[in-house]
Parts: sequence; structure tokens; C-alpha cells
Amino acid sequence: MKYTTFNQQSTNPLAEPMFFGNPVNVARYDQQKHQIFEKLIEKQISFFWRPEEVDVSKDRVDFQKLSEPEKHIFISNLKYQTLLDSVQGRSPNIAFLPIVSLPELETWIETWSFFETIHSRSYTHILRNLFADPSEVFEDIVLNEEIKRRATDISRYYDDLIFATQLWQTQGEGVHQVDGQSYTVNLRELKKKMFLCMNSVNALEAVRFYVSFACTFAFAERELMEGNSKIIRLIARDENLHLSSTQHILNLWAKGKDDPEMAEIAEECREEARDIFLNAVEQEKQWAAYLFQHGSMIGLNKDILCQYVEYIANHRMAAIGMDTPFEVKSNPLPWMNNYLNSDNVQVAPQESEISSYLVGQIDSEVSVDDFGDFDL
Amino acid sequence: MKMDKLYIIHLDEQTQLACHKDQTLLENLEAHKVEVHFHCREGFCGACRTKLIEGQVEYITDPLAYIDDDEILPCCCKAKSDLKIKLS
Ligand code: FES
Ligand SMILES: [Fe+2]
Ligand SMILES: [Fe+2]
Repeated sequence: MKYTTFNQQSTNPLAEPMFFGNPVNVARYDQQKHQIFEKLIEKQISFFWRPEEVDVSKDRVDFQKLSEPEKHIFISNLKYQTLLDSVQGRSPNIAFLPIVSLPELETWIETWSFFETIHSRSYTHILRNLFADPSEVFEDIVLNEEIKRRATDISRYYDDLIFATQLWQTQGEGVHQVDGQSYTVNLRELKKKMFLCMNSVNALEAVRFYVSFACTFAFAERELMEGNSKIIRLIARDENLHLSSTQHILNLWAKGKDDPEMAEIAEECREEARDIFLNAVEQEKQWAAYLFQHGSMIGLNKDILCQYVEYIANHRMAAIGMDTPFEVKSNPLPWMNNYLNSDNVQVAPQESEISSYLVGQIDSEVSVDDFGDFDL
Repeated sequence: MKMDKLYIIHLDEQTQLACHKDQTLLENLEAHKVEVHFHCREGFCGACRTKLIEGQVEYITDPLAYIDDDEILPCCCKAKSDLKIKLS
């Protein structure tokens, strides 16, 4: 089915499935098929923040005091997070918007992606403060083998879905030849790709950040790199919300509360979905090994970090109806919770380095003189 | 302490905890040193997801995290009766 930016057929958005129904026409939020996405939009917008509002200048002094292995840990994590948010800042839009059928879900996807771009911008803010020229760090992201391996796995399911959608929307169902390769395109196959892709995104939001978060907060426990930690707390809060949305989508499908065919696919692809999650867990653990290859940091080592990933994974697998394959029963890093709760995450306005956010306020101060020519 | 301010939380056959109805369930469990997983404490991350076997709760914040019909989010609800719960 060809995509149209404004579907002129009358549709009933209350009867559409989340994806692969009619394209959305009117962006209306007075009624919702799945209310949760409207609530997530409101919550996400209430979290709005700007990287520049967080003062990271003290981090420069701290960074000089770090040992070489600690510098490696800090910078590598920033590179990995930059990769993750580069992908997330565009992919939900490109992969999901052409096939979404509910206005509230369409807007949630756009809102979600937009916040990922704030995360990306914050890494530039952090790195600019540490280095006169951060180019070397950014350039290494497409060269570093460890990061590339992860990039392959993260983008694969998105790319697969995007390509199949393009074929379907331009050429319809059938077997299509592209560059000497043949591709079978039908709705069932597309829905399968969609299901696997959503599982891969869910795993990304669920576990892929947590090794890096733990390192950041371990520095903060030693009162180091606290500007960075403040930013990462804001990011972690957003990521938890994103995770909630992918969990809702997967559960709506699996419980037959949306498209009945997706419930069948969820059953059929159960093992594959589980493997996607476990593979993300495995990669996070390998990331911990890579980080600590030159030596560890105070308060953290590879083993405890891997246990923490398993602990988080158990919870998050259970949330989408999977088993809990890991032994670890209690939280190996209880202090992490102090950084992951949403109390006190707000940035203080007086911390701000720039004051452009006041512009709106100034403009709205209108005096009587401004209306001089009016007869009231 | 007035009795009408308290409910009982049954964790298992042996464990019964007194619970203040003006505090969240999570705060109550923490006061009794029971380890409950949490992140946001605001109902959107799902970390505190818990099975409710018996009893009623009321939410002080609209829960946004995914929960099943028989589950509750202790971080943003208060007990409305004695409760039987099963921690994950
Ligand atoms: S702690 Fe986040 S939902 Fe309860
Ligand atoms: Fe992000
Ligand atoms: Fe995210």
C-alpha cells in the first residue's frame, strides 16, 4: 500500500491496529484507541530538558585527575551511548512512521525520537567541554571494532524492516528483484520483521545503556564527573519511559489486545525474540570486559557489573512475559537506585550557562505603551 | 498509634507487616527493610511491579508502566485494605 501523508479516506482510528492499518490522517488526540501513548507523550514532554542547562565545566578538572584506564572507561561509554542515540534519534521515525495507523502512537514515536536527539546533543555538550576538539572521539565511533559490532546488531532489524516496507509500499506483495537478489514481500513477513524489530528496540532501551550508566554513577559516587552524571540521570529517566512504551506495544500484541495476527506472530517468534534479548545482554557483558581491559575503576569491576546487567535483564524479560534465566536475586548495585529515581533530577535554572530560555519570558512582558495606538 | 491507620501486608505465610495507609506501599515495605526493586518511584518505569493476590490499592499517580491485571506498582499506590502480595 502506497504511503500518503494525508489519507483522504475517512477512517476510524479507534478501530485501526497500531501498525499496518490505514495511514493516519487527522492528528487528533481527543479520543484514543490506546490511551497509554497519549499519557506517555504528556509525561515525556513534562520531562523536557536542555543539555546546556547542566553545568559540566567542573568535569574538565575531574577528567584530568582520572587514571588512564578510567579515561578509557569514560570516553568509551560516551562513544557507545552516542552510537545508541544516533540510531534512536532517527530509526523509530523512519521505520515506524510509514506504517503506523494511530495518531496517538504516531505522535508518541515522534516525541520519543525527538528526545533521543536531545541525548545526542548532550554528548556533544559533554565532549566539547572536555576537549578543545572532540572530532577524534566522534570519528572513532565508525572505526572502533567493539562499537561497530554493536552497531551491526542494533541497526540490522531496523534496516530489514525499513527495506521490506519500502518494497511493499512501492511494489506491493510478491517476489521482487533488487540488485540481483530476490525478496519475498507479504504482509505476514512484514509483520514478523516488525515484531523482531520492536523486540530489538525493547532490548536496547532495557539493557543496552546500563553498563555505561553504572560507570557514570560509580564516578558520581566518588564525586567525580558530576555534571556528566546529572545529564545521564536525565537520559536514564527518558530511557525508562521509552522502555515503558516498547513493553506496552509488545504486551498489547501478545495479549491479543491489538492486531490478532500479531498475537500469532508473538507466539511463533517467541524463541527468536528471546534470543534477541539474550544477545543484547551478552553484548553488554562483553562491553564490560572491554571497558575494564586496561584496569578497573574504584567501586566497580567486571563481575559485579555483569551481575547487575543480569539482574536488570531478569526484571525486564519478565515484563514482556519471558522467563527469568539468570540466578541473581538481589540488586548487586543498590546505590544505582539513588540515581535512577526521578526525584531531584530537575536541573536548577541558576546553573544555566546561557539564558536564552528567558527570551520567551521577555517577549511576553508587554507594557501599556506598546498599545499606544489602540483606543480601548 | 491508632489502629485505623494501619493495614496488614501479607508477604507469605510467615511474614505479616503493619502498613500505614497514608504512605505508599513501597515506602511501607522499605520501612520494614524489605528489598523491592525500584527506579523512578513515579509509576512509569515498571521496576517495582508486584503481584497483588488479595486486597485493594488506590493510585496516587496514574501508572504508566505496563502491568498485568493482577499486578500493582507499589511506588505510586496506597493500600485500601489488608493486602496479600508476592514480590518478584
Ligand atoms: S519504581 Fe518505577 S514504576 Fe515503580
Ligand atoms: Fe536515548
Ligand atoms: Fe531511548
